[in-house]
Amino acid sequence: MSTAKKTALYDMHKSLNAKIVPFGGWAMPVSYTSVLQEHKAVREQCGIFDVSHMGEVFVTGKNATEFLQKITINDIHRLKVGGGQYSAILNESGGMIDDLIIYKLAEENYLICVNASNKDKDYTWIKSQSLKESGVLVEDKSDEYSQIAVQGPTSPKVMEAILPTADAQALMTMDYMQIKKIRAFNQDMYFARTGYTGEWGYEIYLPNKAAGSVWEALLSTHGKTGVCPIGLGARDTLRLEACYLLYGNDMNDTVSPLEAGIDWATRLETSDFIGKAALLKQKAEGVTRKNFAFKMEGDGIPRHDMEVFVGNERVGIVTSGSVLPTVGGAGGMALLDPRKVKVEDQIEIDIRGKRKLARVAKKPLYKAKVRG
Amino acid sequence: MDFPSGLKYTKDHEWIDSTDKTAKIGVTAFAVEQLGDIVHVELPQVGETFAAGASFGTIESTKTVSDLYMPVAGKVVEVNKDAVNSPESLQADPYVKGWLVKVEMSGTPDKATLLDAKGYEAFVKEQ
Repeated sequence: MSTAKKTALYDMHKSLNAKIVPFGGWAMPVSYTSVLQEHKAVREQCGIFDVSHMGEVFVTGKNATEFLQKITINDIHRLKVGGGQYSAILNESGGMIDDLIIYKLAEENYLICVNASNKDKDYTWIKSQSLKESGVLVEDKSDEYSQIAVQGPTSPKVMEAILPTADAQALMTMDYMQIKKIRAFNQDMYFARTGYTGEWGYEIYLPNKAAGSVWEALLSTHGKTGVCPIGLGARDTLRLEACYLLYGNDMNDTVSPLEAGIDWATRLETSDFIGKAALLKQKAEGVTRKNFAFKMEGDGIPRHDMEVFVGNERVGIVTSGSVLPTVGGAGGMALLDPRKVKVEDQIEIDIRGKRKLARVAKKPLYKAKVRG
Repeated sequence: MDFPSGLKYTKDHEWIDSTDKTAKIGVTAFAVEQLGDIVHVELPQVGETFAAGASFGTIESTKTVSDLYMPVAGKVVEVNKDAVNSPESLQADPYVKGWLVKVEMSGTPDKATLLDAKGYEAFVKEQ
């Protein structure tokens, strides 16, 4: 782990006695107390996460919008200044290079938040595509930015406690997926109404030098808000209940957005983008695997790559599985053959040689009030 | 971390409490701490027999699954259903409430592979 990169908050995690693990080339806190306790804290009160390992790529220049439309699956023209959009970049075969969120900070000025483990790959690819265009500048500013997620029902209270009233008020009126630049702690930072937990919350993009003081200010509200530091372990169980995809588990560069179940973000009618031809073909022929959620009906905990059966026929594989602390029991997501299974069908998961009963479920497995 | 001196330990982090013919087997406080939240325990049926070193079940935390290995050859005569039904009891008390199986030993434990409490404590310090 000695070669793993450390976030600006690494010493804070050590002083909180976090268990540190390597993740995507980074030394990251997996838990501070217990995954189950941390999960509960986010669902019932509030948790803060150091997600500084995520990448920040800026795309600017007079042709930035047109350029982004060529490489992303969603309709960038629907995005207004101050808004964010879930999207993905594809290879020519329609496989996902990454999923990402694009924020429109100003006209022809975009911030793309990408996955930590894909950051170098994404940046290299976006940069290489941009060289075919004029009037586009692509910059990787991941090393300058930290990222702190504040998630849970009391997260508005946390914001009120750490920000001047006017700024906190401005955050309260933001819609889901919006982003706002605020000067706080003597630095310019971006507050987005987004998250990866299924709870109401914010993600703060801030310069490294402000990370420590913001982290401490957030934690200092514990008495009023119940806020706790949360590791990657609970981040994974939280996102799984909310049925948010995890790159490397639920999709990779051979899985298309239609298969991954993000058809809603894939604008085949209005947009033209790299990989679209492959998707049109796939859509015409029908996909042979699709992302479904499922819940176990008895004991057994499903895990990534376990095989799924209906009777003697193999119908797919588990892509993410775990206990579901708030929903109860265990479950996850799987890539299953949609010609053979549908929601409510019973399936069997091969858990280390034993078939365990499960049922295909409607997504998400857990739903709170995330939108305004 | 507590390693009772009356028990013997394996490098796979099981403990064994043996008398003449029978032995009680569980996992150590170190194993429990490393796993984090234990959410599922899978144990064999009474009557199943295992060679020394064979996997007799699994213990699962929120993130990982670990095999349980027999410190000694034998036939399972009792399993701790409480540990299966409420894995948190195993988490809180791995040596008393958290025992996993009782076996009728088909040989004697191999002294060479088992550590005493001091030896095991030294071993986990290197981990």
